[in-house]
Amino acid sequence: MASDTAAEITNSAYRPARPRVRVGPWAISWLEVSPLAIILVVLFAAPTVLFFVISFFDYDRVGIYPAFLWDNYRELLTTPATWRIYVSSLRFAVIVWAITLFVGFNIAHFLVFHIRSSTTRMVLFMLCAVPFWTSAIIRTIAWIPFLGRNGAFNTMLIDLHIVHQPLEFLLFSDFAVVITYVHLYTLLMIGPIANSLSKIDKSLLEAARDAGASRWQIMRNIIIPLGRTGITLGSILVFTQVMGDYFVVKRMSGGQSASIVSALSTEIQAMQYPPASASAVVLVLFVAFLVAGMMRIVDVRKELVS
Amino acid sequence: MAREREPRPYTFYLLAGLMGLFLLFLYGPMLVIYVLSFQGPNGGVTFPMVGVSTQWFANIIKPGQVANIPASFERSIVLAIVVSLLTVVISVAAGLGFRRRFPGAGLLFYIAIASLVMPSLLVGFGIGLGFQMLGLPQGLYTSTLGAQLTWTLPFGLLTMFAVVARFNRSYEEAARDLGASAWQRLRYITIPLLLPGIIGVAVGAFTLSYDEYARTTLTIGSYNTLPLELYALVSSDSTPTLFAIGTVTTAVSFVLIGLTMFAVIRMQRRRRMLPT
Amino acid sequence: MDPRFDVELVGVSKRYGGAVAVDNISLRIPKASYCCLLGPSGCGKTSTLRMIAGHESISDGDVLINGANVTGLPPIKRGTAMMFQSYALFPHLSCIENVAFSLKMRGMAKAERLKKAREFLALVHMETFADRLPAQLSGGQQQRVALARALVSQPKVLLLDEPLSALDPFLRIRVREELKRLQRDLGISFIHVTHSQDEAMALADMMVVMQDGRIRQSGSPREVFGNPATSFVARFIGGHNVLQGAAGPVAVRADRCRLDAAGSGLPAQIAAVEYQGSIVRVALTTDAGEDASVLMPDSVYDADPVQAGARTHLVWAAEDERQLAA
Repeated sequence: MASDTAAEITNSAYRPARPRVRVGPWAISWLEVSPLAIILVVLFAAPTVLFFVISFFDYDRVGIYPAFLWDNYRELLTTPATWRIYVSSLRFAVIVWAITLFVGFNIAHFLVFHIRSSTTRMVLFMLCAVPFWTSAIIRTIAWIPFLGRNGAFNTMLIDLHIVHQPLEFLLFSDFAVVITYVHLYTLLMIGPIANSLSKIDKSLLEAARDAGASRWQIMRNIIIPLGRTGITLGSILVFTQVMGDYFVVKRMSGGQSASIVSALSTEIQAMQYPPASASAVVLVLFVAFLVAGMMRIVDVRKELVS
Repeated sequence: MAREREPRPYTFYLLAGLMGLFLLFLYGPMLVIYVLSFQGPNGGVTFPMVGVSTQWFANIIKPGQVANIPASFERSIVLAIVVSLLTVVISVAAGLGFRRRFPGAGLLFYIAIASLVMPSLLVGFGIGLGFQMLGLPQGLYTSTLGAQLTWTLPFGLLTMFAVVARFNRSYEEAARDLGASAWQRLRYITIPLLLPGIIGVAVGAFTLSYDEYARTTLTIGSYNTLPLELYALVSSDSTPTLFAIGTVTTAVSFVLIGLTMFAVIRMQRRRRMLPT
Repeated sequence: MDPRFDVELVGVSKRYGGAVAVDNISLRIPKASYCCLLGPSGCGKTSTLRMIAGHESISDGDVLINGANVTGLPPIKRGTAMMFQSYALFPHLSCIENVAFSLKMRGMAKAERLKKAREFLALVHMETFADRLPAQLSGGQQQRVALARALVSQPKVLLLDEPLSALDPFLRIRVREELKRLQRDLGISFIHVTHSQDEAMALADMMVVMQDGRIRQSGSPREVFGNPATSFVARFIGGHNVLQGAAGPVAVRADRCRLDAAGSGLPAQIAAVEYQGSIVRVALTTDAGEDASVLMPDSVYDADPVQAGARTHLVWAAEDERQLAA
């Protein structure tokens, strides 16, 4: 038995190398990334090109017709409603971005630099992350019984004699929309920021303290610059989620506001594909512009891969 | 070794307070719906509770009462498993591929990022249009699956970047030195070492798919997934049934998280010595 | 104010939970001296350094710098500056910004602080690299920048945590000469933590050997090497045979021992012969089972070479024997 194995080993060790086609090392990489590339090209890039093309098409109540018209864009951009919706969405995005950035950064900072035990850190992080596993739709409507006129929050305020009349602005308002967004998306800030803060070598903070930096100076000169990858990534995620929201504004604003995407879906449901495509293209360009601007601050790719 | 208590700076207490408030904010409304899902038969969607019952849970499975929740739940779970498996295989392969420089790496990376940040409904819109143009019928395992992959794959890729960056290549070189073939290296060294990260991708992709709404809604065939069914319910139903569904899906998520955590912790315990 | 000492430790202890890292140590470091804290890992040398720096709270005792009690003061108020083991250069700042960092924190105007930072970069011969990022420098260059950054605040005491451990052996010797020269030129005290006795011997005016959170011996390298106090010190600084004598353990320098095949010394067997260039080291196992070695010039060895496995005797003069504390 033992000698058999030995013979086998010897055999295989001395088997002459079969002549092979030499390929560059990147050919292996191509093979490895090809499924990803094919799926993204066929199911993401091609459809995007498709609605870009269709945005120039002509249409009537029956169908759509190949053409090269700027009418869809002209109509879209000359409608005051479009501008109103963009302004309102952008306003929501900025408010939510500011709140989630403040809360997310501070919580990430707390978890990374103030919690000494890694078990406690893990538990606290999981506590932040667990609600993310619940359906966004459920998490959105969860605010309705909480914020409503007879909701838990108003009841509590009245019981504590803080107010005498239930607060009306809590639900079906811009306030409710912002609250829901913050509830849904703060984790998208905490995760990437905590990840990049945890990569900061603690001895850098000591070196800064040694050089006489105050708590605030360390924050401004060391932690924020070194955490900028996470800050950028989190900002991109929150911004794009809010700009692409379909559900929250529709459900929580009580019909006072519409989101860009929900307006667009109305056109899709009416089968008005060319104008829907035109507003899709405008939204994509808008988001791309924002994201590219943020990515200019940080080379996200370099920082992620290294 | 327990560190001696160094005095905490005042910022610790400020931030601990913020953390506490945030957790309250995160869980407060959820707790309200968990409680309200046990509302009595005559109660409504807000407080006060009018007795206690499990009738809203019973409603979920009663056919005809509400939309077909059990069937859509099953569809969502099976789809999520398929998405999760595909995401793992494809993004692990791609993560390994990105370790070398190759022509087109930058372009592919930016396509992935674009796919991640693209407003979800637009992705569904594009795919829906494409299927319509080509005269293909939309279906759960064609258009829906594809739409969800454009969302889970970039996520999987970014996670793999973080995982692979921490992976020490000398393990593979050592295995090669010891005579392991390319396949053996992958099977016995690379995959086992990357396993915690791979599980992370699997769980992440599962949840993203299980919870997906905006990409799915324009690419769905004849049968709805759970989020679509829920969305329809939100507009039509105004009983605590919705809250009961919320309670059940949360419970399902908790079981899932619990099992994953258990698996990952056991795995880590078995190889303490690994550098993280 | 007692101007004779740059640093005084008075009964300083450090406890982590139940474990004692530094156990009631007292030490006085004279003005403008190069002091090396030497010991194996976990002996408390780094904790001691960090307590002097103010990066670690002091569980018990006092630290005085230049005669002033600084216990409880933040690092910048102590007149110390620290150079970190892995240098801890800020990766997002250029060399000159790294050096200028503490000046910026103090609120010095930009032109002024850059001018001063440039002077200190010149002091370590790094002025031509001012605008590079740390990642673009070699280990030796990073070390110099870290040195300039620590010195720019003009500390009374410079604290160095294993400053040479990340460098390759050749560079290490060159850099240690520069450290010594710099310390002499600046006329301040350097406290240098190391686990290498070569480094400590070469650099120190005052060498402090630590073990298990206590100081086992301190003095000039010559005093310590010539008269090790305990068997731990004798073993740790090397070059000594620690043997069981009539009245407890004794130490004898290996270069003062001889081999004598026919003689009347300690009977032993030769375990190995190592050629080390100018000298030859012969390793022995005594019949009592103790390890010993003899260092001799190669000419002496060549006159009477021996083989591993041969029987011999270990011989030394009585005046070379040092009685050790148990």
